[in-house]
Amino acid sequence: MKYILITAVLLLTTGLYSQAQELYVFTEPASNMAAKSIGIRVTNEGIFNGMSMNRTIPEAMLSFNKNLMTHVQGFFSDMDGKYRLEGGSVYAKYRFLSVDGTQRHLRAAAFGRLSTSKRPVYTEDINLEGDNSGVQGGIVVTQLLHKLALSGTVAYNKAFVSDSRKLIGIPQADQLVSYSLSSGYLVLPVIYKNYNQPNFNVYFEMLGKTNPDNGNTYLDFAPAIQAIINSRTRIDLGYRFQVAGDMPGRYNKNMYLLRAEFNFFNVLK
Amino acid sequence: MKTFRYFIIFSALFISRIAFAQQITKAEVQVNGLTCSMCSRATETSLKSLGFIASVTPDLNRNVFVLSFKADQPVDIDEIKDKIQDAGFSIGDLSATMNFKNTAVDAEGIAQVDGNVYQFTNAKSKTLDGPVTAQVIDKDFITSSAFKKKAAELKSPAYLTGKGVVAGKETRIFHLSI
Repeated sequence: MKYILITAVLLLTTGLYSQAQELYVFTEPASNMAAKSIGIRVTNEGIFNGMSMNRTIPEAMLSFNKNLMTHVQGFFSDMDGKYRLEGGSVYAKYRFLSVDGTQRHLRAAAFGRLSTSKRPVYTEDINLEGDNSGVQGGIVVTQLLHKLALSGTVAYNKAFVSDSRKLIGIPQADQLVSYSLSSGYLVLPVIYKNYNQPNFNVYFEMLGKTNPDNGNTYLDFAPAIQAIINSRTRIDLGYRFQVAGDMPGRYNKNMYLLRAEFNFFNVLK
Repeated sequence: MKTFRYFIIFSALFISRIAFAQQITKAEVQVNGLTCSMCSRATETSLKSLGFIASVTPDLNRNVFVLSFKADQPVDIDEIKDKIQDAGFSIGDLSATMNFKNTAVDAEGIAQVDGNVYQFTNAKSKTLDGPVTAQVIDKDFITSSAFKKKAAELKSPAYLTGKGVVAGKETRIFHLSI
């Protein structure tokens, strides 16, 4: 609770003095990509869970129109020994509310995800980006209020646990509620001159999950920095760590994330 | 009666219409909801896909795009709005520089040029000549709160829908403030 209060104060004060940004690193904003655009991402997650492990996520993003976009991901990792393709995921987001005003906007979107993974289930923590097969549905609301942008997400996660991947003695959740609160702001440039100026953004996100069956909960803090080059290419570097609660066998409670994203605007006909 | 009057104006203008000459020369669009240069670039790329746009000059700090238009192609103001919405944003203000050539604004504030019907909210019974900067105040060309305020003030069904019957045909009517 103390952490949350301190963070809220930090978010509010930094937000007042800087321009808000919403290209969050660990979550998605309610805003979509521009219509008819394609984005390509490569994400590398370095996980420290007793030993060091790596997961690589190539990802393509497509926006069909101003309201509907989709992400398609592949998951490769060395978490079970040899580096291999372990699964994939399809994510779709539909923006159903958009209220723009001078210096403020409110967007809300509904999203869904369908994931597959051939990993054995080692943890109660359902992670549909690599560790589990399952579905996810949720709502994200992003608010820009003067210079402060905040985004909140609530989602329901359902894992498909087949008997062949169950390990004896490992607690397996088949459902989790996940939630997050994110904030970001622009550090540079102070004044825009042209599109080629690099932008630097700083993010702070809080990510949590709760197992409704046994009440197990955790909360992670995830600070990140971001550079945007030529207004097209985005580089993210983030670190995620657990500050409260826990779930047995968590993988991503102590991990860094490095991502490169390339955008191709208005290329789809 | 109103329909009849529209018909007379429409016919008169149609008969006296000369060969197409670019009437809207420039527009300044202030885009709401933009927060980063990546969003601005996406908006600019979206605008540039319109065939009648000659150039787009962004002012990244004010989130304003200055548009210039090709001389030989008619400008579709609604398509500009659609492209900005496609990029995920909305128009806060669109002010166009329009070149009028002895264009008559009738007692109801209506003028017709090149097949476009303009309803002026603050000009009537006058002749417009030369460049005039006009703000488009239709829905989705100003903030939704400003639109609601205007709608309450104007109490006009044509303002709410942006359409009205002109010469017996449902026609797009742009509402302008000069």
